[in-house]
Formats: sequence, C-alpha cells, structure tokens
Amino acid sequence: MSKRILIVEDEPNIIESLSFLLDRAGFDISFEQDGAMAMNRVLNLTPDLVILDVMLPNRSGFDILKDITELDVAPHVLMLTAKGQARDRQTAEEIGVTRFMTKPFANAEIVAAVQEILA
Amino acid sequence: MPHSLTGTRIRQQRTRAGLSQTALARQTGISTSYLNLIEHNKRGIAGKILLSIARELGVPPSSLTEGADSELTTTLLEAASSVSRKSVEISASAEFAGRFPGWSQLLASIYRQNRDQEAAIAALSDRLTHDPFLAESLHLMLSNITAIRSTAEILTTVEDITADQRRRFDKAIHEESRRLSDATQALIGYFDKEATPDGPSETPDSVSEEDVASMPLEQFATSAAISCYNPSALATEFRTNLHAVFRRLANLRVAGLQAPEMGLIITNAAGQTLHRQALSEFPLPRHGNACPLWPVFQGFSQPERPMQDLIELPGGIQFTTLTIALPHSEISFGAPPDYQSAMLFLPLDQSPWPTPPQPARAVGISCRICPRKNCTARSEETVL
Repeated sequence: MSKRILIVEDEPNIIESLSFLLDRAGFDISFEQDGAMAMNRVLNLTPDLVILDVMLPNRSGFDILKDITELDVAPHVLMLTAKGQARDRQTAEEIGVTRFMTKPFANAEIVAAVQEILA
Repeated sequence: MPHSLTGTRIRQQRTRAGLSQTALARQTGISTSYLNLIEHNKRGIAGKILLSIARELGVPPSSLTEGADSELTTTLLEAASSVSRKSVEISASAEFAGRFPGWSQLLASIYRQNRDQEAAIAALSDRLTHDPFLAESLHLMLSNITAIRSTAEILTTVEDITADQRRRFDKAIHEESRRLSDATQALIGYFDKEATPDGPSETPDSVSEEDVASMPLEQFATSAAISCYNPSALATEFRTNLHAVFRRLANLRVAGLQAPEMGLIITNAAGQTLHRQALSEFPLPRHGNACPLWPVFQGFSQPERPMQDLIELPGGIQFTTLTIALPHSEISFGAPPDYQSAMLFLPLDQSPWPTPPQPARAVGISCRICPRKNCTARSEETVL
C-alpha cells in the first residue's frame, strides 16, 4: 500500500508540480489549500507525511504543526516554506518538525527528502 | 566646554580688525611672542588679559571663549567615541579643531556622512526585516520562482509526460512568470514611491504651507518684534497653536530676517526627533541619545503646560527654553492622545524673554560626550 502524503500549500502550481513528482515516486497524494481546514484533512486522511507551508490562508503553518505534534499518532511533517530565516527554522524545530526545507527547491532534493523520511 | 579655541578666535578677530600681533600685544601689555603662543592655542588665557584683548578688539569676552566651534568639537568627540580605538586623544579634540580647522571639518564631514549612511543602512535593514509589504512581496516572488523552477525542471527532465500534462505545465510557467513580473513591478513602484519625498520636509528651514498661510512671514516678523518674541501673544494674534509659532520663530533667521537665532527640537513620546534645528552653541544629536534632562522630554510629564526653564550645558553656557507638549491629532474618547513636545531655545544673553527665577538646571548634549559626574540620568558611560 502506498504511503499517503498530504500537501498543505496555497499555491496551485506548486501543488501541481509536487503532486506530479511524488505521484511518479509512488506516493498517494492529497492536498489542502486552506490553513483552517488542514487539521480536518489530517484527521480524516491520517497521512504518513504532511508537507506543510508556513504562510497559509486563515491559519499559520506553525499553529498547524503544533496541533499535529499533539496528536496521539502524529504523521511526519516536512515544512516547506519561503520563510527561510533562522528563527523560523528554530521555531519549527522547537515545535517538533521532522524536516525543514526552503523554497525554491530542486525536485530531486524534495523527492529524496520525502523518500528518506518515509523509508 | 574646553576653551582652547580661544586663541584661534583672537587671531580671527585681530585679523578682522586689521591689527598686527605686535600692535595688539603692545595695546594689551603683553609680549608679541606670548600673544603668538596664545593665538596658536599653546597657552591658556583668562582674566585680565582676556578682558583686555576683548576690549582692544571691540568684542565681548564671551565671543572669544564660547561657542562658535562647539558643534565641530562635539562632532569630533562623537567621531572619537564611535570607534573602539583607545589611542584617540579625546582630551585634545578642541585643540585639534582649533589648530587644524580644515582637517577637522573634513574629518567631521566624513564622520557625519559615515554616520548618516550607517543609519540609512540600519533603517533599510530594519525595513527589509519588518516591512509587511516587502515581506509579502518577497514571499510571493519566492513562491512564483519555486513554481517556475520546479515546473521547468519537470519539463526538461521528464520525458514520458502526456501532452495534456505538458500543456498544464506550460500554462503554469506562463501564469507564474506573469505573476512574478507583476510582483517585481509592484516592488519597483513601492521603492520609487519611497524615494520621492511626498510629505513636508523636516529640515530646519521647513515651515508647513499651513504655517505660511496662517502666519505670513513679514507680518509675523513685525508682530514678533513688537511682542518681544512672545509665543503666547503671537499664538493668540495669529489664532494658531504654540508649536506652529515655535516653528515660525525658529524660521525667522533662516529666512534672512532680523531676529534672535533660536533653536528648536520637536519630539514624540518615543523620543524620536521630528524637527531638529540646532544652534552652533547647542548641537543636537542627530540620531537620538539626547540628554534626558532636556525640558523637551519633561514636557510629556505635564502635557499642555507651558514651561520656561534655564539650562546650562557642561561648558557653562546657559540657555532659556520654552517648552510645551501638545496633542498632535484630535483628542477623542477611547483613544490615547498623541502628544508631541517642542522646545524653543536660545542663549540666555540673547534671550528676549524674562530670565526664569529658578537656578539653571545642569544638562548635557548626550551621555557619551557629557563630562558631568554623578548624574542620575546617565544611561551610558562617557568617553571623556
């Protein structure tokens, strides 16, 4: 059975390319564009990995990350953001992110990171 | 304030009066060689000799010992305190300014330029970090670039891609390129707008159009002289507030009219300087760090109360000050008033106003270059 990945990202063209890449790598992909709806999707889908943006409509990625880490069975979280400042990385790591990556990314790099996390 | 520039001023006044060193020395009863040493700031001067020289030159003694170069000396002190090198001869700054005025002006000019550039860089850095428009724009542009890069990489590296998928990726690159272009144009427009001053200048000679309309210059100058430069009377006559009158009074000399030369500082409650007009004898720090004992800051503790004070700088020069804090915007219920405090000042011996009865309050320029000991308001160590 394929590992499930939820992409929480508001930019449709980034969702499109990530979905294409990760689908070809054999993963089952879903996505959510609204920050306020993200936790519902996490609870319903029970993904193995959440690829999470920080600046989302209606809710910050940091708040979503905090809620995810408080789940009894929490999925991995790969934070993928244009906010690459040191303090953002530190905040994410303090909350409990699995991996923190910045935009723009190389396709091979993101696929390799996902495969490593879900290996 | 050090008096070691006195010799330079004596030399200037003697030259201006068309007197030779020998003639002035003879008239004042000292040797030519001694006068030469004095004029080169190699001998101190005070008391009878100073009074005698001032009398022969036809100038007040204070004009030989005070003020004219204090701003230059203060700037040199600021320059010395801005570097960590211990080898700078801080105590000789006044002598340096007196003996090498050209080099001193050059050094002070380079220091001011450097300081202004540092402030501009700090402001830009702060803007890049905290400006919401820039943060949003950069985030948007990075998202556009991410989508373009990832999609383009797919198109160039993946061979088994369907025609439909290829069309969607082509369309995505087109869309993201256009958005990136729009975001870039918006950013350029933002900086262009910032680079074009569209508000009233805060330079010393700026008087708002409103001030000009309510207090026509010639009429105001005449009324000011008749009222002995009484701001309250002028505010009543011209039906305006005291801050506007302060700005107009400080502007009279700048506008080339006969009037006492007045300095003016206006600050907000955060201590930021909104209007800065220094006197040569009373330099104002350009970027904050002013002496907290200045009446302009006391104004916030007693808003809307006119205050007249006598203050004394470390060099002994006394200044009369008029201060009042007024609301900058309309007062309304439920919103805290936004006060600005203004202090108009000039040397006591040039003041057209009655001398305040209370003794002069000892103040400084800023802590870094203030020699006063045991000052309870000190916030940092002095370099002196």
